[in-house]
Amino acid sequence: MQKNRIQQLHPMTKFFFALLVSAAVLIIPGFIFSFLVFPILLVIATAAGIVKEFFGTVMKALLFLLIIIFFMQLLFYPGDHVMGQWGIFKWTEEGLNYGLTLTSRILAMGSAFILFFRLTEVRDFVKSLEDAGLPPMGAYVVLSTLQIIPEMRRHANTIMDAQKTRGVETEGSMLTRAKAFIPTLTPLILSSISSTEERAITLESRAFSAPTKKTSLHKLTKSTADRILPFVYIIILIGLVLWRILR
Amino acid sequence: MNSIIEMKNVSYRYPVSEDWNIKNASFTIEKGKFTAIIGNNGSGKTTLCNIIRGFIPHFYKGDLEGDVIVDEKKIVEYQLGQLGEKIGYVFQNPFIQVSGVKDTVFDEVAFGLENLGVEENEIIDRVNEILKLIKIEHLREKHPMGLSGGQRQRVALASIIVMNPDILVIDEPTSQLDPIGTEHVFDIIRLMKEQGKTIILVEHKMDLIAEYADNLIVLNNGEIVLQGPVREVFADPRYGEYNIQYPHVTEVALNLQRNGVQLKYVPIRDEELSESISWSGVGEGAYD
Amino acid sequence: MKRSFKDDFNMMSMLLIPIGVAVNIVGFQIANVLRLPIFLDTIGTILIGVVAGPWVALLAGLITNLINGIFNPTYFPYAITSVAIGLGVGYLSKTGMFKNIPKTIISGIVITFIAVIVSAPITVLVFGGATGGTGAILTATFLASGQKIWSAVFASSFIFEIADKVVSALIVYFIVRKMSDRYLSKMNYGTLYMKREGR
Repeated sequence: MQKNRIQQLHPMTKFFFALLVSAAVLIIPGFIFSFLVFPILLVIATAAGIVKEFFGTVMKALLFLLIIIFFMQLLFYPGDHVMGQWGIFKWTEEGLNYGLTLTSRILAMGSAFILFFRLTEVRDFVKSLEDAGLPPMGAYVVLSTLQIIPEMRRHANTIMDAQKTRGVETEGSMLTRAKAFIPTLTPLILSSISSTEERAITLESRAFSAPTKKTSLHKLTKSTADRILPFVYIIILIGLVLWRILR
Repeated sequence: MNSIIEMKNVSYRYPVSEDWNIKNASFTIEKGKFTAIIGNNGSGKTTLCNIIRGFIPHFYKGDLEGDVIVDEKKIVEYQLGQLGEKIGYVFQNPFIQVSGVKDTVFDEVAFGLENLGVEENEIIDRVNEILKLIKIEHLREKHPMGLSGGQRQRVALASIIVMNPDILVIDEPTSQLDPIGTEHVFDIIRLMKEQGKTIILVEHKMDLIAEYADNLIVLNNGEIVLQGPVREVFADPRYGEYNIQYPHVTEVALNLQRNGVQLKYVPIRDEELSESISWSGVGEGAYD
Repeated sequence: MKRSFKDDFNMMSMLLIPIGVAVNIVGFQIANVLRLPIFLDTIGTILIGVVAGPWVALLAGLITNLINGIFNPTYFPYAITSVAIGLGVGYLSKTGMFKNIPKTIISGIVITFIAVIVSAPITVLVFGGATGGTGAILTATFLASGQKIWSAVFASSFIFEIADKVVSALIVYFIVRKMSDRYLSKMNYGTLYMKREGR
């Protein structure tokens, strides 16, 4: 996969950006700035050539939740300035304000992290954490989890298909469906757990616990931008805090 | 004699087991020799491998008695990580023998060297060399999880051999493979023998053992009942008592012997059959 | 049985973590496919807590939420809940609270309380009381009937969690029953659940 300049940035540079965005929306009061963040992230995503995946993930992960959050605040947030009423429901100015503030912040922070993960391969992120001091075993556990999940999912589908041919009901009433759950999950768990011993032996055979410092063929490089950007973030952050205090 | 592995009166039992899984085992393995461990299921072959490799007592708990000496040092004095460089270990199930974190065969084979802290360029050279030696260069960029059982077993062997251990312990590497996969694996084992590695192999395919191995250790219920050069062990009349398979040709020859055919010696390889039969004896028997 | 923090970490326990996380995630998906009304997304964490103890389960819970968060960052704040569940189960297991069905049910109820007490503040403070599912409708109903936000969230999350956690704990109980003594003997807390008294 050909990576463009934004994707090529060091994982930490991108991660700190997501943190900066999160801090900024918490520091700056109101919802206008926070709502501006999402279009800015869209522009970055477009420049990085991933706008479709980014937008799709944001919609899938956040849209429904944001609507619920907004209406719950609008209708139930305590306040005196009633703006309108419909049956037993009345909405207040305070509710509207809080609803907009809360949703704008969740949208900004949520999409900042979604953008980060669309721009960064988890393997690279884990490597950057390892460089920053995460023990090799921790890195191993995360990477291995990422390989096990799709494998287990495939395995689960096979078992469920086999159950259907053996006549175990996976449709029908809730109780019948519930009964299909245990025979699907149990063999999955037992077989993967019984393989941990052999996996441990495999790792030991490959000198995983050798008392030397490991080499890594997978290396992350830092460009000039990666050296400058964190300082820019810090300056922006300090500026925001000062502005908030002195205002 | 240049012994590399020595066991003196070794007994072992797993934490939850009541009986001893290995009983009073003693043997010596010389440097550069190919020793096969055979025996029926549950006779303790894998346990013995685990003792040689140091997984007992470093990984499995339980009671271990006697002395296990690898390269003139007791196994308990090694760290588990150190033994990785000295003794390579490959086992039965090709599907679990992957690091589980690498996306290409190249990276998978490099994993052990990364763990040993070998310098980067050297890793690349050594991995390339091994991929060529084991003839899996075409798999280089493939995902380890997407390979067949036979391919995975070869990758597993490559991942161990690349670390250049003096001793290879290989536990039933072909039991889940088809004939072609088996042949590939034995090609690799033969190559390792030519390179002067000490090889300890657990295997059920007696024809292949007769062809390649130097010595045999026969296990029965955790006890070493016979040991010695392959030819002597197969020819030993006591071997027949343990219901372990013979090489095909040996089976045939012993059958002939029971039916009155005279043997000059007990053949263990196919090409020895005609030579081993005392043809004059056959002629006399036929005329009687 | 006295165990220290460090004793809980050995390679076998660490290798259980990926499995626990995968069980959480795949369990949730199977429950979805079967259209079950409960999440069943903590079975892996509970299982690991029972056989490998609090610290390993803590990590399993944490990693589950971090990995789910890659596609949906709203999981990140709830990592604290998963961590608390892992710790809680581990300590329950230490005292043998998964040894029989009645004890397991009590454990399930304790886990429910842990989950509710830790997650409700997150739901209220971070998400204004809303959750992405049907729970929000229940919370809204409580709110409409005049309850305050805190009690509404506590009440609705308790209702949603209790069935889920008790069923999950029972599933784990049955799975541990099916594990062999040989395997259990290698786990930190496995000896507690061996059929043969092996201590």
